[in-house]
Amino acid sequence: MDAYTVGVFTNIGLLSFLGLSAYVLLITGELSFGQQAFFGVGAYAAGVGTAMFGLPLVVATAAAMASGALAALVVGLPTLRLRGLYFAMATLAAAEMFRILFELLHWQRDVGGERVGPDGTQGFRGIRWVFEQGIEAAGFLIVVYGVLALLVAALVFVERSRLGATLRAVGEDPEQAASLGIDILRLKLGVVAAAGAVAGLGGALYAHHTTYVEPRNFDIMLGVHGLAYALIGGLGTALGPLLGVVLDIGLLEGSRLFAGYRMIVFGGLVALLLVIRPRGILDERIVHGWRHRAWRPR
Amino acid sequence: MLVDLAQNTLDGLGAGASYAVLALGFTLVFGVLRVVNLAYGPAIMLGAYAATWTSLHVRPGLATLAAITVAGSVVAGAYVERLCFAPHRATGLRPGAAVAAMVASFAVWMQFEEAATLALPNHLYTFPSLTTAAPLPLGPLALRVETLVSLAVAAAICALLWWLLYRARFGIAVRAVTERPTAAALTGIDPAWVSVRVFALASAVGGAAGFLVATTHGQVTPHLGMWTTLKGLLAMMIGGLGSLPGAIAGGVLLGVLEAHSQWYLGPQARDLVAYLLLFSLLALRPRGLLPARHTG
Amino acid sequence: MEAALTRTPIATVGIAALLIALAVAHPAHAQRAQAELACAGTITVHVYDCTVRLSRGGRPLEGARIVVGADMPSMPLAHVVRPVTATPGAIAGEYTFRLALEMSGRWAVKLRVEAPVRDQLIVHYDFSETAASPARR
Repeated sequence: MDAYTVGVFTNIGLLSFLGLSAYVLLITGELSFGQQAFFGVGAYAAGVGTAMFGLPLVVATAAAMASGALAALVVGLPTLRLRGLYFAMATLAAAEMFRILFELLHWQRDVGGERVGPDGTQGFRGIRWVFEQGIEAAGFLIVVYGVLALLVAALVFVERSRLGATLRAVGEDPEQAASLGIDILRLKLGVVAAAGAVAGLGGALYAHHTTYVEPRNFDIMLGVHGLAYALIGGLGTALGPLLGVVLDIGLLEGSRLFAGYRMIVFGGLVALLLVIRPRGILDERIVHGWRHRAWRPR
Repeated sequence: MLVDLAQNTLDGLGAGASYAVLALGFTLVFGVLRVVNLAYGPAIMLGAYAATWTSLHVRPGLATLAAITVAGSVVAGAYVERLCFAPHRATGLRPGAAVAAMVASFAVWMQFEEAATLALPNHLYTFPSLTTAAPLPLGPLALRVETLVSLAVAAAICALLWWLLYRARFGIAVRAVTERPTAAALTGIDPAWVSVRVFALASAVGGAAGFLVATTHGQVTPHLGMWTTLKGLLAMMIGGLGSLPGAIAGGVLLGVLEAHSQWYLGPQARDLVAYLLLFSLLALRPRGLLPARHTG
Repeated sequence: MEAALTRTPIATVGIAALLIALAVAHPAHAQRAQAELACAGTITVHVYDCTVRLSRGGRPLEGARIVVGADMPSMPLAHVVRPVTATPGAIAGEYTFRLALEMSGRWAVKLRVEAPVRDQLIVHYDFSETAASPARR
């Protein structure tokens, strides 16, 4: 693989975390415009961990996931009762608040004779742990996909379990689910936290990939892309959001067929696709079909 | 001290007037279709870009530029309706149709943004200013001409909308579809007919707001699309989803609040305060300040 | 890397990479290089000729191998710019390269120094269709 291909695949892998974060909420029937904030929280937290305090990446990443989950809970708790558009708007407002807080965050430390840490709109430079470990681009690509594979496997496992069925039941008809004795509020908090942790995980890897982050990375455009990836790829399986990213970054950006017109082509494709398949390419019906075929005795 | 307070309120009213008009356009679409059109702002941006492009090649008057902005927004808005909302109305009963339509409108947003940068690739273009006249003295205060014009235009649009919705035949159909969709269908009102016209009307209203914003700021950037959508959404949600009086109240409140927080706390805090207000309102009073009667 | 990818199952390599990442202690900080970037537009739209002056401890950094990439901070992960290698210029510590970007706007130019020291420098720069200027931040 040449450097360009490695770059494209790394971006696909990193954006998949954002798509999966949106997906976890979508299957429970919630639409969030704010997952980019938790991606950002994870990026900053992991950067603080490795660059400012010299923690190993694994520890910093765990801290980033916890921070992402915590931030998501802070947003989720006061908005638990909200649904649909109201929840979406609340997450959007919260995410923009986080972005502005990143702009106001100045916290630097002297590390090896250099000031390191978040510096407001100037961003947070020198998140060089991966670089300084001598992990090359291809090696980091493997790390990204290793973590992504674990995450997808975990999501698939959860979806096939009783919990997965409960989540989808809540997503389809919350009133009916509640009447069956499901504690919707508790479930929703759990899902909000999990989606925050997934975004935080992606953010931690992102920060170490670029070696610098800045507040403008985490504006609403990034979040809506994550949302769109999940919805295009399909809500039937955790592989759906990955397919969504591959279509945009892999097929359109990677192929360079539509250089300069990529957004126009992708935008038109998405709008048309959603007419044919409102719940994405790999929607519940298709995935259901697969399972039946797989289980049919020979 | 008190003069600052009054002056900020006055300036805020001017900005708030544009926000109110933006929110009115947003609310019209939401009231009828129960969907959020994320491409609302980008369509307005495209209209403003069409006017900017014209002003770069010929030197038309401000009235012509305003007309081009409105016309451009209407054309772009009609495109959004056809591609993103009309196909999903047919499947309106299926859960998730509104979400699919909203995401589709985001996809079109990306198209508009790229189309704008292809037509005018620089990051920033100057837009002819409304006036170079000095602010009018008003006791110890200074009344900017832009503020006066914004308020007048906003008042005129409110009056026009009120007449259209509550006095004209068109309005009866719109309100029937909004408030009693089943009854409207039974009396033979075609929702598709209403939808297209409401979209065109909303885009025209938004285009007028877009012109006010562009000429007051004296510049346009591709960022205008996101800016317009966010301000319109904020004002609409603060006032109460789907409520026209709420849209006006939300817009004015947002404008005044922004002016004060910018003065006392700085530009970053200005946006922070606006989002904090929206977030707290949603958490405490989700239906907004002046809720619509028939929010479903 | 290619060979490793084809021979070993990816999961094994991934876990190994994670373990290595976990095991290694954090490194000492060597003195960082400094970069001064100057880019100018060419007759081709979105193609720029750039010169970078590298120094370390106030002295020109000679004989460096630099691989240049770029990201767009407002659209994270959306663009991948094909990396180019810089060639030594007329003056000691000066290197030139030609950068082909996908669109106008603010880019973060990534200078990856591979020899004689390993370093990575990020310089923000504003690019329009045919011109370029340092980012005012």
